[in-house]
Amino acid sequence: MSDERPPDELARLARRLDQAQSSRRREEPGPRQADSGEQQALGLGFRIGIEFVVAILVATGLGWAFDRVLGTRPFATIVLFFLGVAAGMLNVYRAITGQGAAVGFRRPGREAGRKH
Amino acid sequence: MALELHPLEQFKIEPLIPIHLGGLDLSYTNSALFMTIAVLLITALLVMGTRRGALVPGRWQSIAEMSYEFVTDMVETNAGHGAEPYFPFVFTLFMFVLFSNLLGLIPYSYTVTSQIIVTFALAATVFIGVTIIGFAKHGAHFLRLFVPEGVPFILLLLLVPIELLSYFIRPFTLSIRLFANMLAGHTMLAIFGGFAASVGLLAILPVALDVAILALEVLVAALQAYVFAILTCLYLRDALHLH
Repeated sequence: MSDERPPDELARLARRLDQAQSSRRREEPGPRQADSGEQQALGLGFRIGIEFVVAILVATGLGWAFDRVLGTRPFATIVLFFLGVAAGMLNVYRAITGQGAAVGFRRPGREAGRKH
Repeated sequence: MALELHPLEQFKIEPLIPIHLGGLDLSYTNSALFMTIAVLLITALLVMGTRRGALVPGRWQSIAEMSYEFVTDMVETNAGHGAEPYFPFVFTLFMFVLFSNLLGLIPYSYTVTSQIIVTFALAATVFIGVTIIGFAKHGAHFLRLFVPEGVPFILLLLLVPIELLSYFIRPFTLSIRLFANMLAGHTMLAIFGGFAASVGLLAILPVALDVAILALEVLVAALQAYVFAILTCLYLRDALHLH
């Protein structure tokens, strides 16, 4: 018996691979749905929990630092706190509407029309 | 009954080989040791897994191929076309975080990713790298990322700072998410473990809970590595495909 596999076995494997791949492709409507839904939902859930809190903390901390350097206590802290809330909400909103964490990301078409 | 709980002791960094160079403490610590172990394990898995290159893969080859394909898929679907050159980086990042997380679940091991400086270093690398890529690809045009289209000028005064802020928050959310999840999980495990040691026969309850939490932690370990890598991909897409 030689080490080589019979060629028809290889051909059959290639055919089966092609079939499996094309059937998989048909199941995926868009590129963003490629991951299994459950996995993506879990990943998303774990993602957005922190997003909001950290945005506020970082922004407020930044404001506090500005205040210390510029001596404008407490105005920068206040302003940046609210900006942080806005940025946090924006991040969470973008995460759950499937726009990733993209800054300024607009889905072509529908989203762009709504923004105007 | 004195309850001796030290749930945070497990995160202590201890120098194994003290190295002091010009006032800098460069000691080889337990944290560094487990980073080394993670890197060695990943290298071993991939080298051993791909050595034979069989048509029908065995166990190790399957693991190596599956992780490769998983990340390829992730980069392709989330970072879009033109992101292929960055696949090695995302793959390395994913494997390192995954192995660090999973290694940390072994009793008496050290969880590298429970140190914020480690996760922040990773996140800052991603952030700075992505920003450089963005500027290299688009030049000053990259700044348009912060200017939403079709917005009156007055509103821009408000929106641009918000967009800037939400951009600069990225390395913080990226690092704190991973670090906090690891820290919380391991602290919880240690606390219930401490209970079990001090309540005698009733120990069965905290131990049962610990088993359940450990299972959850395995999920969290894998999921956090996935989230870290997928966010890196999403950030990359921003820099590559400016809208």
